[in-house]
Amino acid sequence: MEYPEIDRYASLKSPIHQFDPRAKIISFSILIFFVVFVNELDIAVINLFFSFILIFISKLPIKFVLNRIKWVLLFVLPFLIIMPFTAGGSELMTIDGIKMTYEGLVLGMLIVLRATSAVMLILTMLATMRFDTTIKALYMLNVPGLLIQMLMFTYRYIFVFLDEFLRMWRAMGSKGFKLKANMYALSMLGNVVGMLIVKSYERADRVYQSMISKGYTGNPKTMVKFNMVAKDYAIAFLLISIAILPYISKVVL
Amino acid sequence: MHISDGVLSSSVIIVGFVITLVLLMITLRCSMKQSDVKEQIPKLSVMAGAFFVASLIHIPVPPTSVHLILNGLMGVVLGVLSYPAIFIGLTLQAVLFQHGGFTTIGINTMNMGIPALLAYGIFKIGYQKGIPLVLIGAISGGLAVFISVIFLAMSLITTGEEFIDIARLIAITHVPIVIIEAIVTGSVVAFLAKVKPELLPIDMER
Repeated sequence: MEYPEIDRYASLKSPIHQFDPRAKIISFSILIFFVVFVNELDIAVINLFFSFILIFISKLPIKFVLNRIKWVLLFVLPFLIIMPFTAGGSELMTIDGIKMTYEGLVLGMLIVLRATSAVMLILTMLATMRFDTTIKALYMLNVPGLLIQMLMFTYRYIFVFLDEFLRMWRAMGSKGFKLKANMYALSMLGNVVGMLIVKSYERADRVYQSMISKGYTGNPKTMVKFNMVAKDYAIAFLLISIAILPYISKVVL
Repeated sequence: MHISDGVLSSSVIIVGFVITLVLLMITLRCSMKQSDVKEQIPKLSVMAGAFFVASLIHIPVPPTSVHLILNGLMGVVLGVLSYPAIFIGLTLQAVLFQHGGFTTIGINTMNMGIPALLAYGIFKIGYQKGIPLVLIGAISGGLAVFISVIFLAMSLITTGEEFIDIARLIAITHVPIVIIEAIVTGSVVAFLAKVKPELLPIDMER
């Protein structure tokens, strides 16, 4: 297990790092939705290329990006492998009497392309700013305060939880416990999860009470000042128009 | 368990977001009537964190490994607040780890959150009927994942008929997870009943 540090490279310097967080969230979200809804293979390829350029501009290390894409590929690659054989349509070729269809292959490729471009865009959006900046930007975009608070608390507890869990896990491991899919090991796992919940619940309660007594109201306060300048509007406009362009050109042509 | 970006059709994704938004509003308003939600935030965040960390535990089931989901447990412990907690947990998973997708947060929350709400109902009814806590915990845990798998298969099939076979395949591979989840949830519930019963929706008088 490793820490889910999405913002490890938030301190790099690139045009995307300097892009206003609010404008970044809005324009990238629009971009991601359009990339995901594409139904044409050629546009999907262009989108993948475009997301790659954005990653390149953002200067995020390739290793970091590949590590994140890996998870998504693990999920979508089975679609590429299975879809050609199961989807109906015109025959592409037959291997050992199993029919492979053109439609299935196209759909499988579309899924992989869309998923990869989307994850690259998510990375360019979120890995280029600190996570507390992201949360503050969401707050300023009028996301309800309750959700923001829950997001912030949970984000912090993930790290506490991971440490706490790994400590217990190491203790069990050193006493000879091995996790297997049998009744005994699973009920032991249940006890560890239960202990984790009890310990962290008590801690969360304590921390929350002390925060309240120090005047916490639930509104995020960070030192970061946001300042939208003309350049931010221009980049946002550019990104959004790139997202919509294929759709407009389809209507016009 | 969670669908990543780029698989589902736009209509399924939009329906997922609409249902999730409506359910978020209903569940939050519902719990606001019972008590001040702000006081529930630590409990909710901890469970959402547990949900997150638990999904990182891989249990070897040859030939692969599976991970815990714990949406049934969330339902039992958090009640109606399990829906927002699952929403937060899945959002963070998508955002921090790229497990599951960004555009599929709505549909994924729906697929796991509605079974969590059902698990809560089942647990309460079972408890009132006097079924042992371990057993009813296991039933709610297993059933929650089972319903989630059905929802997942349904969201794939409504995307297109081409997905029927892959949905079937996903459903079959989830059978061991249902069993594992039932055992683990049952054992967590038994543990909590012994150590911190106020985390469970049970009367401590009895």
